[in-house]
Amino acid sequence: MEVKKAVGLDVGSQTTKAVVLDGTGILASAVITSGDDAEASAKAAIEQALQQTGLQFDSNLYITATGIGAKSVSFSHQQKGLTTCLARGLHHLLPSVQLAIDIGAESSTVVKLNERGKLSDYANHDKCAAGTGIFLQQMAKLMLMSLEEMSAHSFKAKNRADVTNTCAVFAESEVISHVHRVPPTPKEDIIAGIFYSVVSRIMTMCKRIGIKKDVAITGGVALNKGLVHVFEQEFGFALLVPESPQAVAALGAAIVSKETLEKGT
Amino acid sequence: MTVAESRTDKINAIVRASRLILRMNPARPELQKSDAIYYKMLATYFTRLLEAPQKGGFVAAHTVFFPTEILYAMDIVPMHTELTTWMAAMFLGEQAELLAGGAELGLAPEICSPHRGLAGAFLLKALPRPDVMLWSSLICDNSAKSGELVMKLNDCPGFFLDRPFQRTKPEVDYFVGELGRMIDFLEQLSGKKMNWDRLSEMVARMDEHIKLLQEISELRKAVPSPFPYQGYLKLLSVDYMFPGQPEATEYLETLRDELAAMVKAGKGAVGKERFRIMTLFIPPMYMSGFLEKISQEYGAVSVVEPLFTLWMEGGLDPSKPLESVAKKSFLIPESRTMYGPLSKQMLDEVVQIARDYKVDGAVYWAFIGCRHTCATIKLFKDVLNEIDIPMLTVDCDLVDPTINSKEEIREKLERFFELLEER
Repeated sequence: MEVKKAVGLDVGSQTTKAVVLDGTGILASAVITSGDDAEASAKAAIEQALQQTGLQFDSNLYITATGIGAKSVSFSHQQKGLTTCLARGLHHLLPSVQLAIDIGAESSTVVKLNERGKLSDYANHDKCAAGTGIFLQQMAKLMLMSLEEMSAHSFKAKNRADVTNTCAVFAESEVISHVHRVPPTPKEDIIAGIFYSVVSRIMTMCKRIGIKKDVAITGGVALNKGLVHVFEQEFGFALLVPESPQAVAALGAAIVSKETLEKGT
Repeated sequence: MTVAESRTDKINAIVRASRLILRMNPARPELQKSDAIYYKMLATYFTRLLEAPQKGGFVAAHTVFFPTEILYAMDIVPMHTELTTWMAAMFLGEQAELLAGGAELGLAPEICSPHRGLAGAFLLKALPRPDVMLWSSLICDNSAKSGELVMKLNDCPGFFLDRPFQRTKPEVDYFVGELGRMIDFLEQLSGKKMNWDRLSEMVARMDEHIKLLQEISELRKAVPSPFPYQGYLKLLSVDYMFPGQPEATEYLETLRDELAAMVKAGKGAVGKERFRIMTLFIPPMYMSGFLEKISQEYGAVSVVEPLFTLWMEGGLDPSKPLESVAKKSFLIPESRTMYGPLSKQMLDEVVQIARDYKVDGAVYWAFIGCRHTCATIKLFKDVLNEIDIPMLTVDCDLVDPTINSKEEIREKLERFFELLEER
C-alpha cells in the first residue's frame, strides 16, 4: 500500500497555502489567493501543489489545516492552531529561532519557542486591523503606491511622521492629514511612520513574552524589506526571514500531519 | 434622566429560576445535595428581599465585599447590589438593558460594567428601592463612588464605610471605629439594635466557613481534581451573600463531603483530566455554562483561584466580634490584587500555590473594566513563567456579552490547550 502523503494547509483570509511532504522533505507547495469559499480555496491550493508532483487529490493524503478558515475545511483530518504550526514550521527551517513574528492579513502573532523548538508562549492581537497586513494594504491605497514601492520609499525617509498604532481608522485619518497639510509631510516620512506604527504595536507583544535571539519574521509582510528594516532597528539586530515566509504555518501543519501519520493515529 | 416605576419582576425572576433549578437539579449526581442547598439559599435570600416591604423589613443595599454579617446581626435585609443585578440580568438575558441604563446616566463604557449595570438597574427600578445604601472603599474606586449615585437615584440615606489600604494596627483600629460608627448610624436610622451575641455567633461561623473553604481547596489538590468549573461562582456568591449564615455552613459542609467522596473514589470534575488550570480573576459570568462545556470537552479543570477562593488565613475571634469583622475584610482573597497592596509575598505565594496544585497553565481573565487588576497581569505572568507555567491572558468583560463572542473565547482556549499539550 502506498504511504500517505502529509499535507499542511494554512487557510488565511487573503491567501491559502499548501505544503506536501514526503519521506525526504518538502515535495511541493503552493500559495494562492483565497476566495469566498474557504473549502474550495483549500482544495485548489492542494491541487496546485500536487500538480508539481503528478499526484492526485485523493484519499491518500493526510491533511492538517490551520489558519482562520481551518474549521471550514471539511476534508481535513485535523485542525491545529496557527501558533503550534508556526513553531513547528520555523523550528524545521530555522532551528536557532526562539521568537517569531507572524504578520497575517487580519492578525499579528508572536510565538516563543523553547530550546526543544516547542511552542512555549505566544501573544496575538486580533481586535483591530492596526498592525496587520490589511492595514498596510489600506495605507498603500492611501499613498497611491504598491507595497513594494512603499518599501523602497521607506529607506529614503529623513524623519518619521506620527501615526497611531492603536486604531486603523484613526491612523488612516492621520495619514490623510499628513498628505493634505501645507506643506505636505514628505511621503517617505509618512511611510516610515506607517511602518513604525505596525512595528511598535508588535514590539509590545514581543516584550510581553520576552525577546530572545534568534528572531524570525514570517507571513506575507516579511517580504516587505522596508518594514523588516524598521523591526531590525527596533531589535538592534538582524531578523531571519525564511525563504517562503508565507508558507511557514502550512509547513508546520504538514509536519504535524507527518508526526500524526508516524504515530499511526 | 427619568427614573422608572418600581418593579419586582427581576427579583421574582431570580426566585423563580432558583426554584426551577432546584426542582430540576441538573447538577452532576455527585454534587446534587450541595447544589440543591445553594439554589434554596438563593431563593430564600431573594424571597426575603421581595417580602421585606410587606413584612416591615428594613432593606440595606450594599456593594461587594461589604461586611454583610453586620446587617444579618441587626436583622436588616441585605441586598447585594452587584450580584442581585447580574443574577437578574443573566437569568433574564437582559444585560444590554441594564448597561444602556448605565449609559443613560452618563457612565462611560470604560467604567466597570457591573457598576454601570447596577446604576442602570436602579435607574430602571429593576431593583427595589432600598431604605439605606451602604458602600465602602472595598474593593475599588468604582465601589467607592457607586453608592453616591445609588443614593441619589433612590433618594435614600447612605453610609460610606472607609476601609484603609494597609493592615497595620492603627489602620485596623481605625476601621473598627468606622464599623462602630456605621452600626450607630444604622441603629438610629432603622430603629433596629445590634445583637452582639448574634454577631459573635456569626463570627464563629465565618471562621468555620474559612476552615471549610480551606478544606475544599485542599481537596481540589487531588489528581484528578473534583471541583467543576461552574462551582467557582457559587463559592464566591456564598461568601458574598451569606457570611456567617447557618445555611452557608450546611452548603460548605455538604460540598466538602461530596468532594471528599469524589476524591476517595478517584473521580474528577471532568471525564479525563488533561490540564490543571490556575484561574486568575473571574471568567465572563454569562459564559459559565459554555466554559463548563469546554472544560469537559478538553479535560481542563480549574484547580485553584488564588485571588478569589483560596483563603490563606483564618483565626477570627467570636469574643471580639467587631475586631473580627475588621480582620476578615483583610483576609478576603480578592483584596490581595483588587485593593492591594500586591506584595512580593503574594507573588511568591502564587508560585507556591501553582506548585502545590500541580498547575499546568494559568488563565488570566483580564476584565477590561478593572484597570487596577489588569495592571498586575505582567507580574503574574512573569513569576509563573519563571517556573515554566504559561499564562493565557483573555481580554473580556464579566457581564457585557458584546465584548467577546463564544467562538473567540473557544479559539483562544483551544490554542492555549494546544500549547499545554505541546510541552
